[in-house]
Amino acid sequence: MTLEEALRNNRYKIVDRWVAYTLTTYEASSFFLKEKDAFANPIGATVRDALKKLFALLMQDAESEQLKEPLSRMMHLRSVQDFSPAQAVAPLNAVKHITREVLAADKETAPLTAELYDFEFRVDLAMLAAFDLYVACREKIYQLRIDEIKSGKHTLTDGGCPSQALKNIAGTKG
Amino acid sequence: MSVPKLEQLSKSVVQGPSLATGAIPKVDWTELPVEFKSGNYAYPAKKDKVEYLNSQKGLYFPNAREWSPEDDDWKFPENWKEIIIKGLAERLNKFRSLKIFMDCCVRCGACADKCHFFLGTGDPRNMPVMRAELLRSIYRNDFTLAGKVLGKMAGGRELTVGVLKEWFMYSYQCTECRRCSVFCPYGIDTAEITMMMRELLHLVGVGINWILEPVSNSNRTGNHMGLQPHTFKDNVDFLADDIENLTGIRITPTFNRKGAEVLFITPSADVFAEPGLYTAMGYLLLFEHIGIDYTWSTYASEGGNFGLFTNNESMKKLNAKMYAEARRLGVKFIIGGECGHMWRVLHQYMDTMNGPADFLEVPKSPMTGTVFSNAASTKMVHISEFTADLIKHGKLSIDKSRNSHVKATFHDSCNPARAMGLLDEPRYILDHVVDWVEMPENTIRERTFCCGSGTGLNTDEIMELRMRSGLPRANAVKYVEDRHGVNTLACVCAIDRATLTSLMGYWNPNVTVCGISELVGNSLVMDGETRGELEEGLRTMVF
Repeated sequence: MTLEEALRNNRYKIVDRWVAYTLTTYEASSFFLKEKDAFANPIGATVRDALKKLFALLMQDAESEQLKEPLSRMMHLRSVQDFSPAQAVAPLNAVKHITREVLAADKETAPLTAELYDFEFRVDLAMLAAFDLYVACREKIYQLRIDEIKSGKHTLTDGGCPSQALKNIAGTKG
Repeated sequence: MSVPKLEQLSKSVVQGPSLATGAIPKVDWTELPVEFKSGNYAYPAKKDKVEYLNSQKGLYFPNAREWSPEDDDWKFPENWKEIIIKGLAERLNKFRSLKIFMDCCVRCGACADKCHFFLGTGDPRNMPVMRAELLRSIYRNDFTLAGKVLGKMAGGRELTVGVLKEWFMYSYQCTECRRCSVFCPYGIDTAEITMMMRELLHLVGVGINWILEPVSNSNRTGNHMGLQPHTFKDNVDFLADDIENLTGIRITPTFNRKGAEVLFITPSADVFAEPGLYTAMGYLLLFEHIGIDYTWSTYASEGGNFGLFTNNESMKKLNAKMYAEARRLGVKFIIGGECGHMWRVLHQYMDTMNGPADFLEVPKSPMTGTVFSNAASTKMVHISEFTADLIKHGKLSIDKSRNSHVKATFHDSCNPARAMGLLDEPRYILDHVVDWVEMPENTIRERTFCCGSGTGLNTDEIMELRMRSGLPRANAVKYVEDRHGVNTLACVCAIDRATLTSLMGYWNPNVTVCGISELVGNSLVMDGETRGELEEGLRTMVF
């Protein structure tokens, strides 16, 4: 059996454990794990879907561009929740350990753990990409704050009122 | 190199119990102190605003002071405990609903996973039943025999400063959207429990600025932003200028005009901030199109009522202003614009507080003759009810293709949907003016998910909190965006228009937000118009 086959054969088990691990970082983890309706449980559904996609990409040495979509969904979620930056990205790293444990647990796949270097390196690269996306999400939050502050409040005083500004431009100050 | 084990990773990275979502708590929730840090609380009300409000007739906002949630000492008045217990006793006597809600919950858990704050944070104290328990445990301890005798064993707990801090944290992590109430077999209105916690906190001088400043502005000049009459008028005139540039139609709205048939009241955000401005342009075009005899008011220049988010006295006073103005102008009835909580106040509280409005007539559409008997007591009809009736009677000339740039979905704004049952009228309008699709059924109509920023939580300093509590709504929008190419989220609430814009900006940046009346305005074929190709409808920039 090749490593590729081993990963493919065990993908459901690995992703399930990865999802479970990620969701245990939430206090209400049992609900997030149990509820299957994507609209009644958006955190659980997003994590499951994103990690499933991510694992499929990590298995096949995908381009880093492709990793962006599922990573971005994970980071959108965790960068606004009550996690430190390290806590936000940490569950991504867990797939290395989970994969190693799953493969090691089976006599047939155990020897393949020696070949995991490339897979784990891909996880490392995904982690680094996730940090970039985390920061992008944080910056987006600050941009949204600025946008909100800018929209509307200028009308608080007459001087900043758009209609007043237009009149001033037209030279009919009044 | 050895690879660290999974448990070690958990231990080294996730440390200690964190407030909203971090790690597993090591003690019972009742003993877990709340932690205030930048981003998880809204700024306290400014001392001068609280003092001003307290000086106003009919209002009571004592114990104004400088304080910060991040400080250990919140500088409560010395007799804070007495004030809270007395305040709770008064409210239990005054509001029968509160007494019932305190007694009848059986903790069945039907509400537990229905709250958008819970779904976005995973914090058990955001389960509606637990949030209510923050108050209920004090009620049991001090107001029930079982609690007095058995204390903790009967679910009671002593009122401490820590409890008040918890109330502040979690009564401001509830948007009073009432989704949980839909699922409660007893019909417990958890929003009213949040309202009581906020009321009690105001008695000891604890409130947030984003709510109290608009309340004070509304009390003084009539609207949240404190716009004075000439500024309010200028802004509406400015929108009329824009309409002329776009359509060639000159509209000259009137203000404070005595003897008009109808008084029109809408949230002030519609006349001063995007994207509400386009909704207001829609109102102007609609009223011009049908030639209704109506007036704006620069005094009743706010549909919103942030009093609802503070205490019943403020809510009553701000609501009364609309009726005082209707009486002064001598109108027959009121048309209300696309506002959310204005309609909750109207349908659930107005009659008891300031009604019945006997000096007005039951709203009857001058165009179709339809009598809005649903508004027989409040005499105020919703713009969507009014518009749907016009469409039904063929009174509007509509060209749906003018909205061909839009693929819409509809967000049921919480208060119109759950507090007044406005479910089908906006949909009827959408059917006629635009191509649109529904979001998944457990996220719409009476089960709609809140924008995450209602009840005065639409302030920027808690943006992260708003983004996570808005996740369930954004998640449903993403589904229809991916599946049907939806590019516009329509709604009937001014807070929604402002906050969903940020929510979409974060989660679904290709989706814009609009009011229903904007889409109506886009589609109207006006007499004498000289309208070019407006690729983005009323949002098209014309030079």
